[in-house]
Amino acid sequence: MIIQALAFYLFAGILSLSALAVITARNPVHSVLFLILAFFNASGLFLLLGAEFIAMILVIVYVGAVAVLFLFVVMMLDINFSDLRKGAMQYVPVGLLIGLILLIELAVIYQTWSLDAITAAASISMANMGETTNTELIGANLYTNYVLPFQIAGLILFVAMIGAIVLTHRSRPGVKRQKVAQQYARQRDEAMEIVKVTPRTGA
Amino acid sequence: MLDFNLIPILPEIFLAFTAMGLLIVGVSGGNKSTDIICWAAVLSCLMAIFLLFGISWQRTTVLNDMFIIDQFGGFMKLIILLGMIASIALSVKYLYQEQMIRFEYPVLMLMACVGMMLMVSAHNLLGLYMALELQSLSLYVLAAFRRNSYKSAEAGTKYFVLGALSSGLILFGISLVYGFTGSINFSVIQTSLSNEGAANIGAIIGMVFLLSGLAFKISAVPFHMWTPDVYQGAPTSVTAFFAIVPKVAAFALIIRLLYEPFAPLMEQWSQIILFLSVASMTVGAFAALVQDNLKRLLAYSSIGNMGYALIGIVAGNEAGVSAVIIYLFIYMFMTAGTFGVILCLRRGGIASEKISDLGGLSLTNPALAYAMAILMFSMSGLPPLAGFFGKLFVFQAAIDGELYALAIYGVITTVIAAYYYLRIIKVMFFDDPVDTLDKDIPFARRAVIFVSVIFVLGFIIKPNLLVSSSQSAASAITAPQGLAVKKTIKEPPQAAAAGDRPSSTEAAATVTGAQDK
Amino acid sequence: MMELWETYGIWTAFTLLYIVLIVGGVLLSVAYLTYAERKVLGGMQRRQGPMTVGPFGLLQPIADGLKLFSKETIIPSQANKPVFLMAPMLLFALSLVAWAVIPFDKGWVLANINVGVLYLFAISSMGVYGVIMAGWASNSRYAFLGALRSASQMVSYEVSMGLIIVCVLLCVGTLNLTEIVTTPRPVWMQILLFPMFIVFLVSILAETNRAPFDLPEGESEITGGFMVEYSAMTFALFFLGEYANMILMSAITTTLFLGGWLPPFSMWLPAGITDVLALVPGLVWFALKTAAVLFVFLWARATLPRYRYDQLMRLGWKIFLPLTLFWVVLVAGTLLTFDALP
Repeated sequence: MIIQALAFYLFAGILSLSALAVITARNPVHSVLFLILAFFNASGLFLLLGAEFIAMILVIVYVGAVAVLFLFVVMMLDINFSDLRKGAMQYVPVGLLIGLILLIELAVIYQTWSLDAITAAASISMANMGETTNTELIGANLYTNYVLPFQIAGLILFVAMIGAIVLTHRSRPGVKRQKVAQQYARQRDEAMEIVKVTPRTGA
Repeated sequence: MLDFNLIPILPEIFLAFTAMGLLIVGVSGGNKSTDIICWAAVLSCLMAIFLLFGISWQRTTVLNDMFIIDQFGGFMKLIILLGMIASIALSVKYLYQEQMIRFEYPVLMLMACVGMMLMVSAHNLLGLYMALELQSLSLYVLAAFRRNSYKSAEAGTKYFVLGALSSGLILFGISLVYGFTGSINFSVIQTSLSNEGAANIGAIIGMVFLLSGLAFKISAVPFHMWTPDVYQGAPTSVTAFFAIVPKVAAFALIIRLLYEPFAPLMEQWSQIILFLSVASMTVGAFAALVQDNLKRLLAYSSIGNMGYALIGIVAGNEAGVSAVIIYLFIYMFMTAGTFGVILCLRRGGIASEKISDLGGLSLTNPALAYAMAILMFSMSGLPPLAGFFGKLFVFQAAIDGELYALAIYGVITTVIAAYYYLRIIKVMFFDDPVDTLDKDIPFARRAVIFVSVIFVLGFIIKPNLLVSSSQSAASAITAPQGLAVKKTIKEPPQAAAAGDRPSSTEAAATVTGAQDK
Repeated sequence: MMELWETYGIWTAFTLLYIVLIVGGVLLSVAYLTYAERKVLGGMQRRQGPMTVGPFGLLQPIADGLKLFSKETIIPSQANKPVFLMAPMLLFALSLVAWAVIPFDKGWVLANINVGVLYLFAISSMGVYGVIMAGWASNSRYAFLGALRSASQMVSYEVSMGLIIVCVLLCVGTLNLTEIVTTPRPVWMQILLFPMFIVFLVSILAETNRAPFDLPEGESEITGGFMVEYSAMTFALFFLGEYANMILMSAITTTLFLGGWLPPFSMWLPAGITDVLALVPGLVWFALKTAAVLFVFLWARATLPRYRYDQLMRLGWKIFLPLTLFWVVLVAGTLLTFDALP
């Protein structure tokens, strides 16, 4: 268990520190890089919990795809973030207040927390698990019990795709596009002409 | 293992597939095919209505208890689909007039419709959230649809940011509810809460977050900040859509949430809803007084109207729920007509949105002026018109629920709000005329205005048509919960509920028939 | 303390030993892959390739390595120093950690985890960062352009690679790499997966930024691409990382499609010959198959001209993505129809 504990403190420590660095780093690109580090360590924590599928998906989706786009945007935007941050200090009291309220709420919730309902629900699923890996279990649940939300999620992505195209795609005039089918369909007769050149006539 | 009975979900599946099919048609046909796609969308909504009538409205849950169909859900979906037909019909010509013809427009509307119908039928917090997001995402895009206009882009961005915030609130609420009740299934939450009741503070906090998030969607005060800007900035046809349909769906969702999973917490939530209702009525009545933009004015009017509708929920009895349904139904018709008139206000191909632009409309275009006048009278709640009955039922429910102060306050704000509705009429009939309007009013727009005016005028002749079916819808959601404990109201027998359905079919058929020409 | 040593220490020592063996093997392979590349390219262009250092030029890679190590590492004055230095290390480290789950032979795998395929996918999807960080930190237009190109290229082709892997997973029903190799595949399944094998080969060319998809470092347009500012040791790390990645991708192809360490063509050849083939150690078969895939890399480099950027994107998004998506449906449908789901 010592190894697990050590690994937990390693992951959790780096996670907290990098999360802190995300909001304190001066350079926005550094912020994103720390965010990626945070994702990576979070996936390490998932591994310790035995949720290997979630851990891998976290890396593949968040680190491999989402954060890359993030980094793209941040790198290409020419924004001076220190200017943006100048007025930020005046919001600190409000932020602290909201944080405090949330903390108190969490404390109240924690006071009344009863694990009965949750452990009851969890014990059912644990009993069914047996030897199956959690990848298999997630798959079996996602496509049967949760098929409706899963399909709606598909529709949401569909709408997001349409929306992105509607709002950003502009068909500019005068763009030359390669038409591969046309290129292939071209015959020799259309493309070239064999001319008999008589020497010394200049034509 | 799992019941893959897809029959109850057939209308939604049909609409989703139609939307995808129409997108393919659009991609291959280009923006020229927008017309055809719009009318095909209207047709598919009609088809969905037929499918909706084809399936049984007995209370059934399918797909692992994620989806529910009952009298209430069925009736609300009917309202949504009617609203969809009206708002697509209003849009077609407008897209051409404003040079924003893009075939994605009706597709997005259909996807929003699927989302709204799924919202109405959600029986699970996860399904609820997904359906809500499907709906909202389509609406965000529609709000920013005229992307060359700063106003529209601002509307889209504002709506998106605040909508995302509200989604965050909803998610946080859901996580708390799940944590403290151990389930995301509505029936399980209900049983768990009725065992513990108010002792479950975590679940109550979760419910408050959920309600705040949903209050964003119906733009109830204090979560209404986005409404005026979005209504003003979005293209008018989209504003019409926003005003007509999504509110109905969000209301249906709120009613289902409050009367199913959170029914045991009625004492807690009725206070929240009471506050939302009073605040909305106040802001709706007073803030609208100083507006000079018609769309902004209607935004505040819709905030106020949501306040009145919320009274029905606060009442906490079957009569209240049925009053809400009636109110929303009537409100939908009135708004559709009003926006139909606003869409006609064009001079030299340019849309005008100021109240002063209505000046002397009775001389330049009397038909339009009288239609608008009737609608405004109805909105302000003048007796023989439909709007009066909507308010009447709501206030009656409040009095049944012994909420006298609330009812009186509602009447007071109604009187205040009447001022700005009547001001429009005054401008139309007594002010000097401005330039004449463009004459070519498309048929679909005329049809919508006509149907809406006829409905407003004719409601008094046969109110039972709507009242009885909304009562059976309301009883479907309140009766199984044993809700009559708090305030006893006569429960109509289930047999009557089944018998009422054909009558509403007829009503629907006449309405849609007129619009479909 | 003694107890702790017995429970963890021995295990740790052995694991470290394995790691050293794997890393050493990979680095040696990288060295001789560069040699092989030059020899193959030379052969295809009717030249001789390296031949002066050592017999047949066999010591050439070592000489090259020594040269790079003894040069000065130049850091541009406007560069973001920590990120600039971290990028090559990250790329190199990623190309090595992925080897942890590759089975070299029956039971010869460092970590036999349940989600091996996902692990590989996760690691390879992180490779983008090395490139972006290098391009951004160099503070140079060429480097940044190269990094953008490379990142969008890698992200694009990962999509179809993921779908191809799904096809394979549908057939074998496990995410464990050892089980993927050992699960028998009937002939019809091999035929069904063959087109995906070809698409996968093309995709890994793009994923490793190799010819004909080596736009990120397209010399004629953007000089050296994202690594234009790197020199000496840092450049060497990029170089090692790129070649280690090539070998890794070939090893993944071998594991997914070519039966890993198992003797080849066991379905097609008569029993007598397969018995003989089975006598050869699995590691040898694995190495041979990997080398065969690597040869395709070199072959493609010697034969094909570089793609234009829009052509590359078109191939990825408009051809491979629909094709692989369709193939997932096809494979799933076929398996379902013939009741052959694992």
